[in-house]
Amino acid sequence: MECSFGITGKDYVLIAADTSAGRSIVRMKSDENKIKTLGPHLAMAYGGEPGDTNNFAEYIERNLRLYHIRNHFPLLPPSASAWIRRTLAESIRSRKPYAVNLLLGGYDTTTDLPHLYWIDYLGTKAIVPYAAHGMGVYVSLSTMDKWWYEGMDKREGIEVLKKCVDEVEKRLTVALKFNCILIDKNGIHKIDLSEQDPIAKVEASPEETAVEAPNPPIEVGA
Amino acid sequence: MSGPGSGGAYSFSLTTFSPSGKLVQIEHALAAVAGGTTSLGIKATNGIVLATEKKAPSLLLDTTALEKVAPICPNIGFVYSGMGPDFRILVAKARKIAQAYWKVYGEYPPTKVLVQEVAGVVQKATQSGGVRPYGISLLIAGWDSHRGQSLWQIDPSGSYWAWKASAIGKNMVNGKTFLEKRYNDDLSLEDAIHTALLTLKEGFEGQMTEQTIELGVVTVPTAEQMQEKPGERLPPTFRKLTESEVRDYLSL
Amino acid sequence: MELNGGSVVAMIGKDCVAIASDLRLGNQSVGVASNFEKVFPVNDKLYYGIPGLASDVYTLREHLRFRVNMYRMKEEREITPKTFTHLVSSTLYEKRFGPFFVEPVVAGIPSPTPLDPHPRPFISTMDTIGCITTPKDFAVAGTAADKLYGVAEGLWEPDLEPEDLFETISQTLLNAVDRDALSGWGVVVHLITADKVVTRTLRARMD
Repeated sequence: MECSFGITGKDYVLIAADTSAGRSIVRMKSDENKIKTLGPHLAMAYGGEPGDTNNFAEYIERNLRLYHIRNHFPLLPPSASAWIRRTLAESIRSRKPYAVNLLLGGYDTTTDLPHLYWIDYLGTKAIVPYAAHGMGVYVSLSTMDKWWYEGMDKREGIEVLKKCVDEVEKRLTVALKFNCILIDKNGIHKIDLSEQDPIAKVEASPEETAVEAPNPPIEVGA
Repeated sequence: MSGPGSGGAYSFSLTTFSPSGKLVQIEHALAAVAGGTTSLGIKATNGIVLATEKKAPSLLLDTTALEKVAPICPNIGFVYSGMGPDFRILVAKARKIAQAYWKVYGEYPPTKVLVQEVAGVVQKATQSGGVRPYGISLLIAGWDSHRGQSLWQIDPSGSYWAWKASAIGKNMVNGKTFLEKRYNDDLSLEDAIHTALLTLKEGFEGQMTEQTIELGVVTVPTAEQMQEKPGERLPPTFRKLTESEVRDYLSL
Repeated sequence: MELNGGSVVAMIGKDCVAIASDLRLGNQSVGVASNFEKVFPVNDKLYYGIPGLASDVYTLREHLRFRVNMYRMKEEREITPKTFTHLVSSTLYEKRFGPFFVEPVVAGIPSPTPLDPHPRPFISTMDTIGCITTPKDFAVAGTAADKLYGVAEGLWEPDLEPEDLFETISQTLLNAVDRDALSGWGVVVHLITADKVVTRTLRARMD
């Protein structure tokens, strides 16, 4: 039972993904990170067929990094989403398709706008203000429908996310823990959802909460 | 590693630059064209005429089987000067290009599009390994709804131009001078056909008859002719003139 | 088709055509997005809609954009609705044994030419492998196609003026998608006349 959420706000995107890994009813791992940072302002939560997931996520990660190295600037969220979608769309009609669903979140530093994309293994792409993948869809989307509104600040966003996590805890039979990140103009930050006010920590010490992101402007020549 | 001219690692182009920057193979190809029988084309206000002289090397040859003006698709026709075998290859390729276009778009290509495609084929022979350039120049006449009637020439180098009137082959220099004198912008197709025959007559060796002349014409259709009727095909805008039609024009 | 849902309708009027789609993108019964347009412009007199599998909607759209741009550059002219229909059809048939799961609808007005100074508005539809139909009245496709047929049959009449055509196509789509669980969540209508295109997003039931 997998579950991931994404929520956009006024100037940020929140992405959360559960941390359990296992087969059928058995949980083999409870601290699996299913969020990958893809660039200074880009990250995705991914799920699906075990094996495919990590392999595909790394493929995406390496290629976006290669783009950054070659061009000295990262692929912006809309272009990255188009490339990832195309990769999945080509994969679905291949001999061995990737079975990976993902939520791609990013902050466009050129327009100062947050972006969130719902992408599934078929290569379907939806540009959405909030979204979910996995079993959490059935309980969290209605929660977000009710509480989300345009232009929420960071604390309000966290509140909506917490409501979703609570709903999952209440309605799904398995207990899940969640990893969470926040992307804003300063980059990607780790969010501890168990804290009363996780944003306070981000504001107080941005360096400490910063998630190390691939940011490879390599010096060419001497 | 496929298609003409792919000879693997040992393949190289026969057309290579001379130190002065010329491609001598192309100049030789042009010489082959200049040795070929004369062909010409004239654009009129309501059509185009293509004309060529058809010379049989022997009296015993059945000239009805000789064909120098070739329809490519219902709206486009070719005529050439130079090497007959090369012409037939290009005609086959051009017909295939036209049918491939029809398969995608449900209509035949505009003249310019076909000209560009064929010119691409000709150009490729100047740059590919193991092949020689085509030894012909083409005159291409066609009609399309976008540009109307247009007359084009393609040379062995792959270059192409649009003409009001042009001549290629043995008598091209005299022919062009003659055409320059005779041409004007409001020529009708009937006038153009007569001008074409007169031009051909200059420097014609032997008797001009329906057996030694070939004519092709483009006619501009009327709106009514272009009206699609279920179960019917649109009338062709390019056609070859029959021997009796040629005879009639010669006797006038 | 039933995975993501969605519907498109096109109608002919007097010297005008209209094409409209819903905005829903779903994952079976779950609604995912309410901003998923299925109708795209080719030029200012020609639009097409592709309801069906959302992944293929994107892929085919990108593919057609490529081919139309190449056409525009090679031929130095805009593609006509009829030629574009053939282009879509042959693009679909290329994948005869692994088709795109979409049912395209094309709507446009050809530009006047010397031989055809008063061209008639044009619509067409295709199945997933590109078999063309060119109706004289209206064309429907998508998960609400059956409902659209019913409503369109009742509302459409010949020679509708642009405003009336807009009203007819809007009401047709709105009422048809209300009867379809997989379509709806907003509607966008494009009204094409010889000199301009009017695009309106309509309020609809959001449940």
